[in-house]
Amino acid sequence: MDIFNQLLQGFATAATPINLIWCFVGCALGTAIGVLPGIGPAVAVAMLLPITVKVEATASMIFFAGIYYGAMYGGSTTSILLNTPGETASMVTAMEGNKMAKSGRAGAALATAAIGSFIAGTIATVLVTLFAPIVAELAVKLGPPEYFMLMLLAFTTVSAVLGKSTVRGMTALFIGLAAGLVGLDQISAQARYTGGVPELLDGIEIVLVAVGLFAVAEALYAVLYEGRIVDTQNKLSKVHMTKRDWRRSWPAWLRATAIGAPFGCIPAGGTEIPTFLSYAVEKKLAKGEDKAEFGTQGAIEGVAGPEAANNATVTMAMIPLLTLGIPTSNTTAILLGAFQNYGIQPGPQLFTTSSSLVWALIASLYIGNVMLLVLNLPMVGLWVKLLKIPKPYLYAGILIFATVGVYGMRQSAFDLFLLYGIGVLGVVMRRFDFPTAPVVVGMILGPLAEAQLRNAMSIGEGSAMVFIQRPVSLILIVVVLAVLVLPRLARFWVNRARPA
Amino acid sequence: MTPSKNTYPLQTLVGVGVLLIGLGLAAGALSIPSAAGYGGVGPNFLPWLVSLALLVCSGFIIWESRSGGFRAMDNAPGGPAPYWAGFAWMSAGLLANAALITTIGFIFSCTLCFVLAVQGLKSAEGRTDRGPAVWLKDTLIGMAIAAPVFWMFTQFLAINLPGLTSTGWL
Repeated sequence: MDIFNQLLQGFATAATPINLIWCFVGCALGTAIGVLPGIGPAVAVAMLLPITVKVEATASMIFFAGIYYGAMYGGSTTSILLNTPGETASMVTAMEGNKMAKSGRAGAALATAAIGSFIAGTIATVLVTLFAPIVAELAVKLGPPEYFMLMLLAFTTVSAVLGKSTVRGMTALFIGLAAGLVGLDQISAQARYTGGVPELLDGIEIVLVAVGLFAVAEALYAVLYEGRIVDTQNKLSKVHMTKRDWRRSWPAWLRATAIGAPFGCIPAGGTEIPTFLSYAVEKKLAKGEDKAEFGTQGAIEGVAGPEAANNATVTMAMIPLLTLGIPTSNTTAILLGAFQNYGIQPGPQLFTTSSSLVWALIASLYIGNVMLLVLNLPMVGLWVKLLKIPKPYLYAGILIFATVGVYGMRQSAFDLFLLYGIGVLGVVMRRFDFPTAPVVVGMILGPLAEAQLRNAMSIGEGSAMVFIQRPVSLILIVVVLAVLVLPRLARFWVNRARPA
Repeated sequence: MTPSKNTYPLQTLVGVGVLLIGLGLAAGALSIPSAAGYGGVGPNFLPWLVSLALLVCSGFIIWESRSGGFRAMDNAPGGPAPYWAGFAWMSAGLLANAALITTIGFIFSCTLCFVLAVQGLKSAEGRTDRGPAVWLKDTLIGMAIAAPVFWMFTQFLAINLPGLTSTGWL
C-alpha cells in the first residue's frame, strides 16, 4: 500500500503542468531523435546535459527519461521505413518490418511496433514500481565488496560478453577507465594525468566523450565513408491492424515482455540478446502460413516481439540504475551522469533521500508511455517527414548541437578541440569495429568502482580475501567467471561436436 | 569475415596506438604516489592496472592484425574508400569553430562550422550544386539553426554561450 501511496504522490508531482510539458517535450524530441539517423538517445541526453545547471532535478530527469523512451519508439519507424539497418536495438525489427513495408504493410508494422512498445513499456513500468523498492531494500545490505563485484559484472558483460570481440571490447573498456582516471582521485585528492592543465583537474566531462564518440564521430564517419550511400524509403500505408494482425501480435507482445524484462534488471545491458531471442522464439512458434511469411512477405510477430522486448528491457534498466547506481547501457550511463550533476548518487538510499524525485520519475514513465502512443500512432506521418531532411544539413546541424552541449557545460573552447580529437578517435573505433558503450560505461562507472574497491580493501584490512569471505560477493565472483567462461565453453563444445 | 591483406598494416597501427596509450598511462602512473594506507590499494593501483591491461590488449590486437586480421569484423574492409576531401572540410569547420567561438560568437562560429561541414558532405555525395548562391543558402540555413539554439540556451535556460555582443541576442 505504501508503494501505491508513494506512486500517487509521484503522479501528483509528475502531473504538474510544467512537468507534463517537460515530459511531452522529452517524448516528442526523443521520437524525433529516434526517427533521425545519425543521432541516438545517449548523445541527445548528453548534448542537453547543460540544462541541469538551471532546470530543477525532477523536471530534467522526467525530460531525459522522455527522450530515452521516445527514441525507442521513433527508432522502429526508421527501421521499418528506411532500407538501411539502424542501431542494434531496432535491427531485428528491420528484418521483418522492412519486408512487411515492401509488401505494402508498413502501417500494420508501425502499429504493432507502437502498441507493442506501449504494452511492454507499461507492464515493465508496473514491474519497476513493484520491484525497485524491494531491490533497493535488499541493496542497502550490500557493502563495498558486493558493489565492486556488481560493477565488475557490469564491466565484464558490457565489454567481454556482449560485443563481437572480447579483445576489442576490453580495449574499449580500459580506454574508458583511463579517461575516468583523469582528474582528482576521489579518496586521496591526488591529481592524476592532468599534465598541469587546470581544466583537467575536474576530470574529462562525460558530455565531451559521449558527444565526441557518438555525434561528431558519426558526422565524420558519414563524410568519410557514407557519402555515396543512397537511402531508399518504403511507402507509408494506413496505420491499421486487421483482426488477424491483432490475434498474431498480442501473444508476441506478452512473450517478448517476459523475455525482455529480466534482461533489463541484470547488469548485462544491451537490447541485442532479448530482441534476437524474442525474434527466434516467434519464428519457432509460428505455424503454417504465418511461418511462411518470415523472411518473405514479413511476419508481424517478427516486428511485434522484438519491439516489445526492446522496450521492456529499456524500461527495466531503470531498476539497476535507480537502486544500485549501475548503468547498463550508454543512455543509462549518461542518465547517471545527469544525477551526478545534481549531486545525487543513485543507489539504495535514493528511495529514501530523493523519494519524491524517484516516484515522480516512475510516474512520468506511465504518462510518457501514453503520450508516446499518441505521438506515434496518429502522428506517425509527421515523423516520417523528418526522413526527408537532406543528410548534409542533418549532420552539419548535429555539429551545432554538439557545440552547445560541450561548450555549455564548462564554457571552455579547449573542450571543443578535445571534442574533435575524441570524434576522430570515435571514427577509428567505428572503422575497426570497437564498441563504444564500454568506453562510456567504463568512464562513468570506473571512478565509482575504484572507490568501492578501495573501501572494500580497507574493510578487509588490506586483504583481498574480503571478496571471498562474504557470501554475496563470492556468488558474484562465480557469476562473473561464469559469464566469462560458459559462452566460450559452449562454443568449444559446439565446434567439437560438429563433424569435421 | 576475414579482412583482406591490405588492411593489416592499418590494424597493426591501431594496436600500436593502444600500446602507446598503455605506455603513456604507465609513464604517468610512475609519478602517482602509492600512499596505500589502511586498504593496501592506493591512488596508483588503478592506473597501473589499466596501463597493464591496455598493454596486454595491444599485444592481442597486434597479434590478430598479423595473423588473419581482426576477428568477427562488422565493417568489410576494402569497402568504400575514405573520402579525405570531405573529411578535411568538416575538420576545418570543427576546428575553426573551436578557434573562433570566443572571438566571433556562437552564432557566426557555428554557422561557419555548419557551412564547411555541409560543403564536405555535399562533395562526399558527389553533388555539384556548390555555387555562390548555394553557399549563401547554406549560410542562411546554418544561421537559422544556430541563432534559435543560441537564444534558447542564453535567454530561456540562462546558460552562458559566447556572443559577438553582450546583448545575449547576437
